[in-house]
Amino acid sequence: MKLYLTKSDCAMTNAVALDDMFLTKAMPTTAGSKMLDGYMSLFDAEVVTKLTEAGYEIAGKANVGEMAVDLLGETSYEGAVTDDNGTLLSASAEIAKEAKAVLCFDVNGAPRRAAAVSDLIFVKPTYGTVSRFGTVSSACSGETVGVMAKTVADAKAVLTAIAGHDDKDGTSLSDSQCEKILTTEKAVKKVAIAKSITASADDSVKADIEAAKKILSDNGVEVAEIDDEILTKAKAAWNILMSAELCNNVSRFDGVKYGYRSENYTTIEELYTNSRTEAFGELLKTMIIYGSDVLSTDNYMSFYDKAMRIRRVIAEKFAEIFAEYDAVMLPASSKKAFTKADTDANMYLAFDENLYTAPATITGLPAVVGGGVQLIGKAFSDSALMDAVKTIKEGK
Amino acid sequence: MERETLILLEKFDQLSLTDEERDAFLKFYDKQLEEKKALDAVDTENVERMVHVMPIMTVVREDEAKKIYSREDLQKGAPATSEGYWQVPRLVE
Repeated sequence: MKLYLTKSDCAMTNAVALDDMFLTKAMPTTAGSKMLDGYMSLFDAEVVTKLTEAGYEIAGKANVGEMAVDLLGETSYEGAVTDDNGTLLSASAEIAKEAKAVLCFDVNGAPRRAAAVSDLIFVKPTYGTVSRFGTVSSACSGETVGVMAKTVADAKAVLTAIAGHDDKDGTSLSDSQCEKILTTEKAVKKVAIAKSITASADDSVKADIEAAKKILSDNGVEVAEIDDEILTKAKAAWNILMSAELCNNVSRFDGVKYGYRSENYTTIEELYTNSRTEAFGELLKTMIIYGSDVLSTDNYMSFYDKAMRIRRVIAEKFAEIFAEYDAVMLPASSKKAFTKADTDANMYLAFDENLYTAPATITGLPAVVGGGVQLIGKAFSDSALMDAVKTIKEGK
Repeated sequence: MERETLILLEKFDQLSLTDEERDAFLKFYDKQLEEKKALDAVDTENVERMVHVMPIMTVVREDEAKKIYSREDLQKGAPATSEGYWQVPRLVE
């Protein structure tokens, strides 16, 4: 059981750890996969450069699920992190309890789930405001670099260091747009609770939503329930888009130029197939094959094209909601603890749990988790969401 | 999905599942089909697809040759090299 895949020898008070999804020159980068075991990058991810320039030390590389697409890191080739009772722990969350912060790669909601079950803060900023240059890409259209920390102040300080335009990232927004996420232009005064999504969570999670509702109300925030039927469709749509994008992104791993190579081959086809088969875990293989199926000639229109249209429907629904409300509140996970037995019984649990995380992922909207709840806001409202989550945390 | 189709997809993806993994995949796939019905229920005929959530730009640079990394650097992570080349099994007899 490893929290760190590589650990630096530095004081933790001003140190930021990285999910092992960020390329680093000084440490290996594995993306939690045997495919990249021991891989050394020739350059640092842009966020690593920015952190260093801002005076932070790099605490090390946190154990992460293979390509960061699983529930809480259980598919790492180094094994799941659990406590003595078999409860799944997120390595990033455990490290965030002692370091200043951890940079996480939010592809399928794992850092948000981890923050929710560990009573930490996680900020998934507006898509395009933090560079993805030098990350191991899984699902480009939704993956976002975010910050996990004990407090909103720490998360915001680190976000301030890493946000900004990057010429090397084609999805990077302008500096003036990136700066917007750090300033509260309009405070959260009206919050919508996603009714059916919240109702599907267990009682302890619903209790967190109720507690947050009371704290916000006590602080003069109007809270009301809304019909969220369209938002529930983000789950199936993101499962399609994520698998399709992942399938393409990991096609580069073939055992030739870098990464794992099987010892069992005589032809080039055997080299490719045996290297990938031996190195990738079962969840990743499932997603690769599902991804290539949804991109196939027979299924492209009914799966992939449909999912992209649903993405617009959901984005338009959010725009409609944000015409009246400042934020949507919903859980970040169905329950407050998951066990290794849960994922052993259903390795696809992350595909179910993204009912709670896919709405923000598929639309690129900012989401802030804290006090066991998740707030989603319109693009660039990150700072206002952080303020509201700070109020919730302090009120508990 | 038929098992034969799955085996064909494995070939395209350069993967090889065990029989047990195939059983698990087919169950997973059936579930995804079931969940996709929720998407089919939404009329999207007149909805434009949304590929990117934010505007994107194509990253370009000046068309100038630059030697950023040496051959040795680029081959540091290679599983097998020979005389400065990446080594693979013979492709042409």
